[in-house]
Amino acid sequence: MEQLSNAITVSNLSFSYNGSVILNDLNIDIKPGKLTFIMGQNGSGKSTFLKVIAGLLVSHKGVITILGNDSDSLSFTDRSKLTGYLNQQHKAIFPFSVEDVVLTGRAGFIRYVPKEADKTASVNAMRKAGVLHLRNRYYTELSGGEQQMVMIARLLAQNPQILLLDEPTTHLDISNQSHVLSLLKQLVSEGMTIVAVMHDPNLAFLYGDDFLFMKNRKIIRADESMQAWDTDFLKTIYEGNIQAIPFNGRALLIPYLN
Amino acid sequence: MNRRIIQILFYIIPLPVILASLFIGPSHTATPGAIMDLFLKTSDDSNLIKSIVFDVRLPRILLSFLVGGSLAISGCSVQAIFRNPLTDSYILGLSSGAAFGAALALAYSFLPVQLSAFIFGLLAVSLSYFTARKNKNVSIVSLILSGIIVSGIFTALLTIVQFFSDPFKLQSIVHWTMGNLHNANWEKLRSSVIPITVGVFVIFVYRWRLNVLALGDDEAKTVGINPERDKIIILIAATLASSSAVAVAGIIGLYGLLVPHMIRMVTGPDNQQSIPLNFLFGGTFLLIIDDFSRTISSFEIPIGVFTMLLGAPFFIYLMKKTNIGWNN
Repeated sequence: MEQLSNAITVSNLSFSYNGSVILNDLNIDIKPGKLTFIMGQNGSGKSTFLKVIAGLLVSHKGVITILGNDSDSLSFTDRSKLTGYLNQQHKAIFPFSVEDVVLTGRAGFIRYVPKEADKTASVNAMRKAGVLHLRNRYYTELSGGEQQMVMIARLLAQNPQILLLDEPTTHLDISNQSHVLSLLKQLVSEGMTIVAVMHDPNLAFLYGDDFLFMKNRKIIRADESMQAWDTDFLKTIYEGNIQAIPFNGRALLIPYLN
Repeated sequence: MNRRIIQILFYIIPLPVILASLFIGPSHTATPGAIMDLFLKTSDDSNLIKSIVFDVRLPRILLSFLVGGSLAISGCSVQAIFRNPLTDSYILGLSSGAAFGAALALAYSFLPVQLSAFIFGLLAVSLSYFTARKNKNVSIVSLILSGIIVSGIFTALLTIVQFFSDPFKLQSIVHWTMGNLHNANWEKLRSSVIPITVGVFVIFVYRWRLNVLALGDDEAKTVGINPERDKIIILIAATLASSSAVAVAGIIGLYGLLVPHMIRMVTGPDNQQSIPLNFLFGGTFLLIIDDFSRTISSFEIPIGVFTMLLGAPFFIYLMKKTNIGWNN
């Protein structure tokens, strides 16, 4: 396959919801085969941005190109081969088994009913995500963290080229956080592109390859002259309430109290 | 493993229940012995018995089966697409809409009864859905409430139709709205078999997709399913099947709520397994209820009365068990 310089290119993207502008004229590109983290204050539009890229919020302005395809012209099925999306929260009504939930990730490949190959793909996905032991459990009875892991397994069963993850580690305890982050690193090393919204800048700086920030309805990258973990830069993003401690050539952040 | 055996049993029982039902009824002439004679051709003078078995009982048995199966399978599919375990064609107002449409056609003969039932059934379910919808979200409770309102509107309209109908037609309309299979005949079976088969077949084809849709719109879209399109197809199929059932058998309330939950106790919520069983067991169970209703007393109790009495406590039980809030 032809090597694309950008996995995703966003040009002049604007989005409004109920009359209020949430994204205002965004321009950004996302590098292929990298783990990109999006950070920013609460309500800065991170989740909205991810949803627009995932094709869940239509009626935006501007052009989004995903692996060379115009996002607006993609069918749901075609898009499912390119991008997979992890919701911040997912509420199930019916007590499906974990296996049934993961199998739905194969929907883009299944005409009417799943075949043996789809079941094998689901089992492999559950194994890779470390949830194979949960396969016969009810999804609704799992903890929030376990549900998150199951939804990640579902993404692996779907096997798209780009993963869009909205806070993949938020509900997880520290051991599952390291489990998910190392899984993401592994996927990236296998050639996948991952874009994840992160609340915790420390985890992002420790493990990410590229960092984007949302501020004033815009998305920005730290400019060439400074690193993303530069305190002065981060103070503009988080409006001053942080302190940066140098760590392994990057930085750890802690809240700053006046 | 036990569940597996019960599942297999569900696949087997329809046939024996259908055959056994041929022997059940209030007639003193068509005794089981006489019917056996008819089948074994040991008796010559059996025209009356023949007529009871083949013109009265057989069409009624087949119609009960089709009606039960179609109500159950549409109940299961609307529960999945609306992500609402507390719904069926009755709660959605679909049954009342279809009943109004059928009564209108019966009273004024401007449209075929089946077609009119379908149109008003679809109108009712759309009304319920869009009334309940707020910010692109339809909560479990709001769908039930809007169903009550829509159901109330169409029941009121049905009363108006009854009011203006001539007394002869009125009696048949009233009787039929109560949910009744005792007027079953080959003609009714013929009028409903095609729409019910088409509706059931479409839902059967989409049985696995229901699992994807039941996880939510965003979760369906991102794995390659167009939820709006699929839901409309399934909703039309479910409306076709259950409005046809209403057109021939009246309002058989809560049956489409009851059966899918009984099946889930055996299969779990996986629709790929539960959809075929909903049709088979839904048909068989209604047939058993109907067998009771025509033997339990000297006069016939409308079958809708039985299903309401069974379904209502079950609904209350589900309501207590399911954590329903205003927003989910």
